[in-house]
Amino acid sequence: MKVLTANRLSDGRVLYWGAQGLATEALAEALWLDDAEAERALASAAARPDLFVNPYLVEVNAGEPSGRDRFKEFIRSTGPTVGHSRPDIEGAA
Amino acid sequence: MYRYDEFDHALVSERIAEFTDQVRRRVDGRLTEDQFKPLRLMNGVYLQLHAYMLRVAVPYGTMNSAQLKKLGHIARVYDKGYGHFTTRTNIQYNWPALSDLPAILTELAEVEMHAIQTSGNCIRNVTTDVFAGATDEEIEDPRPWCEIIRQWSTIHPEFSFLPRKFKIAVIASETDRAAIRTHDVGLQIVRGENGETAFRVFVGGGQGRLPHIAQEIAPAVPGRELLAYLTAILRAYNLLGRRDNIHKARIKILVAALGIDAFREEVERQFETLRHEDLRIPDDELARIQAYFAPPPFETLPKHSGPFDRALLADPDFARWSRNNVRRHRAPGYASAIISLKPVGGVPGDMTADQMDVVAKLARRFSFDEVRAAYEQNLVLPHVKLDDLPEVWRTLHAHGLATANADLVTDVIACPGLDYCSLANARSIPVAQALSKRLADLDFQEKLGPIRVNMSGCINACGHHHVGHIGVLGVDRKGEEFYQITVGGSPDEQAALGEIVGKSLPAEDVAPAIERALNRYLAIRHEGERFIDTVRRTGAEPFREAIYEAA
Repeated sequence: MKVLTANRLSDGRVLYWGAQGLATEALAEALWLDDAEAERALASAAARPDLFVNPYLVEVNAGEPSGRDRFKEFIRSTGPTVGHSRPDIEGAA
Repeated sequence: MYRYDEFDHALVSERIAEFTDQVRRRVDGRLTEDQFKPLRLMNGVYLQLHAYMLRVAVPYGTMNSAQLKKLGHIARVYDKGYGHFTTRTNIQYNWPALSDLPAILTELAEVEMHAIQTSGNCIRNVTTDVFAGATDEEIEDPRPWCEIIRQWSTIHPEFSFLPRKFKIAVIASETDRAAIRTHDVGLQIVRGENGETAFRVFVGGGQGRLPHIAQEIAPAVPGRELLAYLTAILRAYNLLGRRDNIHKARIKILVAALGIDAFREEVERQFETLRHEDLRIPDDELARIQAYFAPPPFETLPKHSGPFDRALLADPDFARWSRNNVRRHRAPGYASAIISLKPVGGVPGDMTADQMDVVAKLARRFSFDEVRAAYEQNLVLPHVKLDDLPEVWRTLHAHGLATANADLVTDVIACPGLDYCSLANARSIPVAQALSKRLADLDFQEKLGPIRVNMSGCINACGHHHVGHIGVLGVDRKGEEFYQITVGGSPDEQAALGEIVGKSLPAEDVAPAIERALNRYLAIRHEGERFIDTVRRTGAEPFREAIYEAA
């Protein structure tokens, strides 16, 4: 299966294609798409340039990125694994 | 330091107005991403993994306290409360919103800063010796020449669409603290025949996929002809450089393909015409710019300082910091202090907004309002009285800025890697953190002496891994992070590329492997021999053995 992802135009944050064609920031809420659905979602996302920048498809297995770029896609879905951007340590320094 | 004149102000404000309009048209859909991308890149705006990223230029790494304070303000108001200093002595913000960019750039302009030409295929921020104007080794302060190059190269119509990006560094001493031989053009100020300022010129250096050490193209170009000579190099490159393959488009590939002698002939041919044109730097303009960089009013002080000497005896932590992070100054009674942005387990180059405020205040009070960004991702207070060092240290210490590891093994250069960067293949920061935690013992670090460890998360080499004494390169092996180790690289006047020691290692093996290599060094070094000199004497073999010992 696949999910559709992109960056949000206004702030660049990672987006996924969710239920009813609504964008979600959570990979867990992304719709799992078969090939035909994925192509339709890509076309729909391309028609929403006010929201989706550079939409593309990511292979998933049980909701987790599984393709060649799975680790990169994992980090895109969670945010940086270290450093000041992590909410658990933000402002700690 | 340099202050904007009316032309600088007009140029920056016109660019902000232009980019503000471009952002507006992007947001309302009149510009597509494909149309917008080259425009935003010319203004330092990337789209990374999680957000837009803004790279702000710090020309030749020199800032005043108002500028650093403003950088902190931008981190606090428009970002997540921190910024990241880069190996081009710039600062990056990882989370700005597109719609905030016009406001950010407007705020930056208030303190004479901008993000122009921090990306794209143009001449990038000029870098220099972080101790310029402070070291007793230099022939003259190189920064007026950096400023002249900045003005000449900013929105230069002929050089705004080069085959690829172009980086220039300038030094004024034999000791190279700006890694000039890793640059597209490296300039070393020397004394010309008549005692006037001249430039020894190196060309064709660069890191990345196909690394090259720059070669000397001219021994002493007269100062007033510098811009004509640089124009000749850029023109030759612009005409002959490859544009068909992004990986072969840097000047290093052209110089290597033609050979330095043929490339020199081409440059000389261009130079013959250009040197007679209107590119000579007028005497009064040079004097005007040099005046901005006149030495600050140093007091006449004795060479030794009672308060400093007493603090050394009283506080071993201060003594250690002084030993490792304080550098000799041209003026008696003064020193330059390195502010390490490499705390144990921290993110190399990261600095919080509050820390920026603290350093800005220290710069204003204790360093003639000057602070520098070093390409090793640290800051420097260039002109501090020895008398004041204990108080400076106490303030730094209270804010997590007094790690006593400058130029030691945990003073690691690391790119943002796959935690942030859309080009990366592997993470860099966690590997740097693991090494810094493993080798945190400062007694051990001091025993090892100066060692440069550089890490990149991909072959583009933003973390300078090729020229680390020990280099670490993240690679992707079927979706898993692995790390290739090099030994024997060097960024300085004896510049060299590291040798790959063998097959890549998983992340958790990197720090232990480096520790084994360091222990091997301790076992085989001659009396007083630095790590890099041992590697030069023995070659990589002993270190290769140690690195793969347990594997």
